[in-house]
Amino acid sequence: MSVPDSFRQQLLAALPRLRRYARSLAHDTATADDLAQATLERALSHWHQFDPHREMLVWLLSIAHNAFLDQRRRDARLSIVEPEQAAAQLDARRADPGADVGLRLDLQAALARLPLEQREPLLLVSVEQFSYAECAEALGIPIGTVMSRVSRARVALRAHLDGGQRPAAEPPRTLRRVI
Amino acid sequence: MTTTPPPAPQPPGDDRLSAWLDGELDDTARAEVDAWLRAQPEDAARARLWAADRDALRARFDPVLDEPLPPALLRTLGRPAARPRPGWRSWALAAGLLAFGIGLGAAGGVAWVAQDPAAVAGLPLPWADPARPRTGSWTHRAAVAHAVYAPEARHPVEVNVAEGDAVAQRAQQEHLARWLSKRLDLPVRLYDLRAQGFELVGGRLLPDAAGPSAQLMYQNAAGQRVTLYLRKPEPGAATAFRFQRDGELNLFYWVEDGFGCALVGKLPRPQLQALADAIYRQVEDGIVPAPAGRAPAS
Repeated sequence: MSVPDSFRQQLLAALPRLRRYARSLAHDTATADDLAQATLERALSHWHQFDPHREMLVWLLSIAHNAFLDQRRRDARLSIVEPEQAAAQLDARRADPGADVGLRLDLQAALARLPLEQREPLLLVSVEQFSYAECAEALGIPIGTVMSRVSRARVALRAHLDGGQRPAAEPPRTLRRVI
Repeated sequence: MTTTPPPAPQPPGDDRLSAWLDGELDDTARAEVDAWLRAQPEDAARARLWAADRDALRARFDPVLDEPLPPALLRTLGRPAARPRPGWRSWALAAGLLAFGIGLGAAGGVAWVAQDPAAVAGLPLPWADPARPRTGSWTHRAAVAHAVYAPEARHPVEVNVAEGDAVAQRAQQEHLARWLSKRLDLPVRLYDLRAQGFELVGGRLLPDAAGPSAQLMYQNAAGQRVTLYLRKPEPGAATAFRFQRDGELNLFYWVEDGFGCALVGKLPRPQLQALADAIYRQVEDGIVPAPAGRAPAS
């Protein structure tokens, strides 16, 4: 069976938000676009699993979540981008004279320091404005877990931002260090 | 009047405060946290910082919504089906929209696909997204219209269909549906939400960006109100069923086949969604060749 047109239309409408989520997860444009692409391909090949009464975006970001985990496992070294480098890329792409570069650098660095298990729920709830129930569905975890992870993410993010350390003072723990 | 003093509020933990910020608490719990925060400026400041972090995250990644979609993604989506079949009207529509979006993106404008479920800025909500007042969006106008008229005790609607006897109500209903259909140039029907416990109060005509829009108001036995905002969308606009929320207001909206509507209310999301589903089904029934002379729901 071919993919129904209505399904494609729904996908099309969800693409900008898929890209936003991918960018917030992956930081750099290339990795994010790969993720969006992989997600879209999976969605198209699994369209028959989509229940039209559910919200497309929750289903789609659930696929993105799994695809991101796969991508990280596969490209363990490549998917880690130095926060400063990512921020520089963002700045280059978005020349915004009004923005406070220093502040954004810190936000990006602080976000990158959060473990993925906290970062994903925080982004889904804050940026995508998912309900806890939707977030739980997308990530395949209980609602109570969403609640505690979002709150821990907020506390940690704030601690990083209040700490005021330079972003590179402490490399992300996922980076391997040769001693 | 009660003379018993209310119990001293309990300090909310991080989880609860965070859930409060996300609008995930029920009315009672939210009122408790509200009371606590009013009395504890330090915790209120902490919540405000969290809200600021949330806003900063949104401001950081929202610009992605306005970027043109990469051609590779569009090619993947648009790859012809293995066995093309006739009746591709809706796909042709999507293709047209694609071309339209790309054109706008190339022109450096805002692609149609970037119609983000914008924050409902400007409403009296705690720390609700001051950073991005997308006051131009029609969903924002729908939310504002709700915020303005839903609390009205005496004049919530222009045409009241709940007054008088059955005959008078019937006449008012027919008048309202005809009047709004004519002014909006849309097949406005008075959607029936009685199965969900909501009675139609009435409706009013409102100014929208380029022409008139309409608001239908429903109320349940508990006095809770939801409003349905109806408008004729710009040519080419189409949006699947979407949800957006900000502070107290929840909003479901969709745009298709020359028909745009948004359901707004303070109801918990599942309850509002049930109402939106019911309306959606009735709209669908109305769009595909409607049975002649179908009377509006009474």
